[in-house]
Amino acid sequence: MIEVQSLSKNYGDRPAVKNISFKVNKGEVVGFLGPNGAGKTTTMKIITGFMAPSQGEVRVAGFDVFENPLEVKSRIGYLPETPPVYGDMSVEDYLFFVARLRKVPGPQVATYVRDAIDKTNLGDVRKRMIQNLSKGFRQRVGLAQALVSKPEVLILDEPTVGLDPRQMAEIRQLIRQLRGHHTIVLSTHILPEVEASCQRVIIINQGQIVAEDSIEGLLRAQSASRRVDLRVKRPTAQLEAELKGLNGVLRVAAEANPGQYQLEIDNRDETVEQIAHRVVGGNMGLLQLHVQAMGLEDLFIHLVTSEHGGAQ
Amino acid sequence: MRGTLTIAWKDFKSLVNSPLFFFLAGACCAIWSLNFLNLLGDFAQRQMFGAESSIHFTVFLSHLSTVNIILLFAIPALTMKLLAEEKKMRTYDLLLTAPITATDIVMGKFLAGYGAALLLLTISFLYPLATSLVSDFHFGPLLTSYFGLSLLLAIYVSVGLFSSSLTQSVMFSVILGVIFILGLWFMSQGINVSDNPTVQTLMQHISLGEQFSGFIRGSLRVSSVVFFVSTAVLFVFLTQRVVESSRWR
Ligand SMILES: Nc1ncnc2c1ncn2[C@@H]1O[C@H](COP(=O)(O)OP(=O)(O)O)[C@@H](O)[C@H]1O
Ligand SMILES: [Mg+2]
Repeated sequence: MIEVQSLSKNYGDRPAVKNISFKVNKGEVVGFLGPNGAGKTTTMKIITGFMAPSQGEVRVAGFDVFENPLEVKSRIGYLPETPPVYGDMSVEDYLFFVARLRKVPGPQVATYVRDAIDKTNLGDVRKRMIQNLSKGFRQRVGLAQALVSKPEVLILDEPTVGLDPRQMAEIRQLIRQLRGHHTIVLSTHILPEVEASCQRVIIINQGQIVAEDSIEGLLRAQSASRRVDLRVKRPTAQLEAELKGLNGVLRVAAEANPGQYQLEIDNRDETVEQIAHRVVGGNMGLLQLHVQAMGLEDLFIHLVTSEHGGAQ
Repeated sequence: MRGTLTIAWKDFKSLVNSPLFFFLAGACCAIWSLNFLNLLGDFAQRQMFGAESSIHFTVFLSHLSTVNIILLFAIPALTMKLLAEEKKMRTYDLLLTAPITATDIVMGKFLAGYGAALLLLTISFLYPLATSLVSDFHFGPLLTSYFGLSLLLAIYVSVGLFSSSLTQSVMFSVILGVIFILGLWFMSQGINVSDNPTVQTLMQHISLGEQFSGFIRGSLRVSSVVFFVSTAVLFVFLTQRVVESSRWR
């Protein structure tokens, strides 16, 4: 449905997106995950035809964004970072306007607007001026605006940013209900969002894709290793080096507290046994030895910090 | 086309329902009323003393000139928000990602601004119209004058729209608009900078005042109509280029 080929974008001579390629299949819900400044918004603006890329091409439903912009735009509903609403219009008038702007056939406009209002639960405020609505409602109006023309593709840029937890849950619930009706790409810099809404995740950092897989796939790849939190009372100077030297220990990081370490190890029991043996045998006063599977959170931090020399 | 009309209608409604429009219309009414009554009083006095003069070249001409001066400032204030505000409020994203062309957007904005501008012009037409209840005069020159003024407004609106496309700040948009319009008016001042007769003729042709005087005298010159319309089209076209180019930044 969406094909992005070797896409690059420079602002002046500063690269924001560097040669990224990915595909989104029809009906998929894909999370576009990355820290602030990673290039998510830039990529989305290019897909929607708002902005031209410096290099590369984008196809939506087989149409090139720059050769057939109108074909592409009529298939996309887009919710930008800031909902593009007019404060001096009522919710309903605004949705009528957007529906007409997006070329919904005349006789269907009223039905489409009603459907969008129903899906986003805006019935109670349909006659209210948008400028008098709370941020959560405004975000819902933004979402209603994106889906009012029943587009095949929905591009949602950080749909829950700046909302309180309850509003966040509502929007996520809404997005889950849209599954199956649209191909959805949503961007976020927080992980729970992806876990809550998406089937597949594309992780982007500093303008480059650092991982791309289904959520299960990412977790499975990650299950080859585990995380160990270790705390000892009397650490020796060479403990860190000793732990590193153990067979099956992949990474050791000393934490700010003296005697506290975080380790990444393989998933053999022998490795844990060896660590325990070393600490107890050295009479260092074992206080904590906690072994757990790596979560997406660890993976995300691992990907955006270690592979590309640290994010901001 | 449908995109154009959708935008035109929405922006026209929000323009004429805005406090700004009420303020502008109110200010115009106040100034024009005072001015027109004054002019009419003078005229009546001169008539009493038996002076033979045409109401068109005394009262109406002065009225028209006031209307023009006021609108010259009011129109850029009317059009300032058309594009600048969209950029500032990020609703520009909605327009640029809708399945419509930059031409649709700019034409829609132009029509909205022009519609509101014509409303103000209609208000100013009520004064001579009311005069016709108490006095007999030829409508011909008045109508051609108003036709000329309506073409002039098309230029003001397109220049105002162009200024609005250049910035996110409405203040800056108004200032730019007024400067551009005054520039167009005073361009003919360049007439004296050269002794060359071809340059002088050229300057005369691109002078708003020179072209406008024909309409006031009651004649409809095709060349003047073409000049006004093409100047307006030029600025609409420039605006279209600015909107289109925003993608490439
Ligand atoms: N209009 C712009 N002009 C210059 N630099 C920009 C502009 N927009 C974004 N950037 C820069 O490009 C990078 C990517 O930004 P963005 O796509 O907004 O990231 P994200 O949405 O992932 O937070 C950032 O470093 C940002 O500072
Ligand atoms: Mg962003």
